[in-house]
Amino acid sequence: MGAIKIFMKRQCPKCPAAKDVGEQLKTRGMRVIDYDLETIEGLAEAAFYGVMATPTIIVEDGEDNELAAWRGIVPTPQEIEGVLQANGFFSS
Amino acid sequence: MDSTMGKMEEPEPSTRENETTDMALFVRTSDEQFAGWDRQRIVDALIRETDVDVIAAQEISQEVEELIASSKISMVTAPLIRELVDAKLIERGLEQARKKHTRLGMPLYDVDQLILHPNKENANVPHGPEATNLTLAERIKKEYALLTVFSEEIADAHMRGDIHLHDLGFIDRPYCSGQSLEYIKRFGLSLPNSIAMAKPAKHAEVLLAHMVKFAAALQSHFAGAIGWDAVNLFFAPYLVAMKDEDVKQLAQMMIFEFSQQAVARGGQAIFTDLNLYWEVPRHFEDVQAIGPKGEYTGKTYSQYEHEAQRFAWFLFEVFKEGDGSGRPFFFPKPLVHITEKFFMTAGHREFLHHICNVATEKGNTYFVFDRGETAKISECCRLSFKLEASDLEDAKQPWKMRYCALQNATLNLPRIGYLSGGDDRILFEKVEGFMDMAVRAHLEKKAFIEKLLSYGESGPLALLAMERDGSPYLRMHRASYLIGMVGLNELVQIHTGRQMSESKESFKFGLKVIAHMKLLADQLAREYGMHFVLEQTPAESTAYRFAKLDLQNHWEKAHRVVKGDIARGEVYYTNSTYLNNGAVMNPIERVRQEGLFHPLIEAGALTHIWLGEAKPSSESLANFVIKTFAHTQNDQIAFSPEFTTCNRCHRTSRGLAEACRYCGSGDVDGITRITGYFTRISSWNKGKIGELHDRYRNQAFLRVEGRNESREGDMIELISV
Repeated sequence: MGAIKIFMKRQCPKCPAAKDVGEQLKTRGMRVIDYDLETIEGLAEAAFYGVMATPTIIVEDGEDNELAAWRGIVPTPQEIEGVLQANGFFSS
Repeated sequence: MDSTMGKMEEPEPSTRENETTDMALFVRTSDEQFAGWDRQRIVDALIRETDVDVIAAQEISQEVEELIASSKISMVTAPLIRELVDAKLIERGLEQARKKHTRLGMPLYDVDQLILHPNKENANVPHGPEATNLTLAERIKKEYALLTVFSEEIADAHMRGDIHLHDLGFIDRPYCSGQSLEYIKRFGLSLPNSIAMAKPAKHAEVLLAHMVKFAAALQSHFAGAIGWDAVNLFFAPYLVAMKDEDVKQLAQMMIFEFSQQAVARGGQAIFTDLNLYWEVPRHFEDVQAIGPKGEYTGKTYSQYEHEAQRFAWFLFEVFKEGDGSGRPFFFPKPLVHITEKFFMTAGHREFLHHICNVATEKGNTYFVFDRGETAKISECCRLSFKLEASDLEDAKQPWKMRYCALQNATLNLPRIGYLSGGDDRILFEKVEGFMDMAVRAHLEKKAFIEKLLSYGESGPLALLAMERDGSPYLRMHRASYLIGMVGLNELVQIHTGRQMSESKESFKFGLKVIAHMKLLADQLAREYGMHFVLEQTPAESTAYRFAKLDLQNHWEKAHRVVKGDIARGEVYYTNSTYLNNGAVMNPIERVRQEGLFHPLIEAGALTHIWLGEAKPSSESLANFVIKTFAHTQNDQIAFSPEFTTCNRCHRTSRGLAEACRYCGSGDVDGITRITGYFTRISSWNKGKIGELHDRYRNQAFLRVEGRNESREGDMIELISV
């Protein structure tokens, strides 16, 4: 199953909104992982995906391959669900 | 006191006082005169140089005098006297005094060997009297640095090989630097200690002469590269109304001047980086241009785009022609900045093909990628500096844009792997411990340089302290303090069992290590108010040094991961964050993967694409460059062909060969890029020779479209899909 990876930092104005989207998706049973770029794990994972801005939300296929990404902007939960459904990872 | 003594006469049995005066000893003083023996000189030296009290000093001097008098030594020298005094200090448990009293230098045998045989620590230094002077001076300054500038703990960390303190032999200099031509355009040449002063140049040729002189003066004050920002743009106001052939002539003069002037330390060429732009960088668009006589021309730099482009074009024509025998120029290095604006500037496509043509023909071009509208200047090889708001203010007065790195301290990452025993927690703790040592080294060097600078324009760093624009030339508040790394690939291999190119998990672990270093550097920067940044250490000799030390001290683990040929001693660690040099992989994928580290390495990074003897089309290199800019995070790439130059007929052919393809002579030398510059392979250390054997030359990705093997005359493409 794929995962939704959300990359954030402290003092990032749009990050609370991104976190909120993540929380909504979690309640719908999706696998959401938050990464703080001020931690080793978070920064390394961000580097792996070439994340240069926060917030960034990446949908991956379970093998770290990027299916879709929103860099520096916050999508709606529906947009993210749409990508997952199109790739067979989620049915509404 | 530097003394050499003549033959001793046997002392008569008498009082100690009489023994002293009866000793017919001759002392060669530092003034190169003979003086009579006087043990008071020992006392004076001990009091001047150490914390030993007068009584102890007198007792020691008497004991040494008695020892000499009672010995059968027929020739007593100053170094021997000093060693005898040192022995007495040790007997008394005065180790700190002994350290302060110690003599620095080299054994006679070593000096003899040095004069006769080349030193391969730096492939850029030719063998000759100046090179010998350099090595001798470096040895003394290195000892001085490890005894006096750095604390015992840090010096020991360097000697052990936990960290490497670069350019110890240049301890009284900063590391590398970036400057602006605007400084000499505006102020002319008025250097401390120089005999004559020159007003700002009126003509382009004179500006070039000033630039070369200033570069030579700067090179004697920096251990590393001298970088120049936006060279073609700042020359542009001087090129108006010049005919094409004259601009081409100027380009030729610039390149030959910087490639041939063997006046830098040790007789090598000045390590010169020329940063070039096809477009006018945004931060200079509205800046008032300085022209002839150092006066404002009334125009802004945006109005000199055509002249700047013309000069850049001709510079690359000269690079393509090569030197008098068609060989690639080793210096200066041209760094072309590729930005979003580049692709929106008319003529960029033709220019890109032009510089890619040079890249494939001669290999000179460095492609620096400045993405996201972030202003960045490259100081030298891979060190770059992101401009902050205050710098963008300085850009309005570009002569203020002077930057430097004060020192580079590199971590031995594989060593951390050996010491961690496979435990993540211990590994990350050790990384922190090694970084702490690097930071301490920086604090100690900073304190030393500040002490030298405090003497101002009458002191040892007069040029760096000169204030022509109200600030010291060396702007300490903008200095960077570099923390480098060697052997990430081998650390990952030890810790995970696989190299970074062999598994995604291993690769991601490598990212974690560098992420940890980056976060620590940021935290330490805030704590100390100093600009600590990670850098990809070029590691020309450090990768070899660390590998050798680890084979000595950690054989059981090290011999499994050290690269190269252990039997031949051609051993090395993979440089910095690079993937294994020999890994067979698509070059664009190598560029992409290595580029994932680059945003973490704030001081700049580079990926090499080794070409061997292949000469891919400019078109394919241009496509490669465009893909790299658009689809990777890679900071900088360089394509590196290989050549063989004949010392008999002086012709140069493509690829590495045992004999000249023209005259058949075996007196040949290879030429290719060692780390960040081209040089002759005969000057390389064993570690780099080992790496050269292992380099993957992208054979599977260099082919004629539609077939795998090429025939002579085919147009070869570098595949980048």
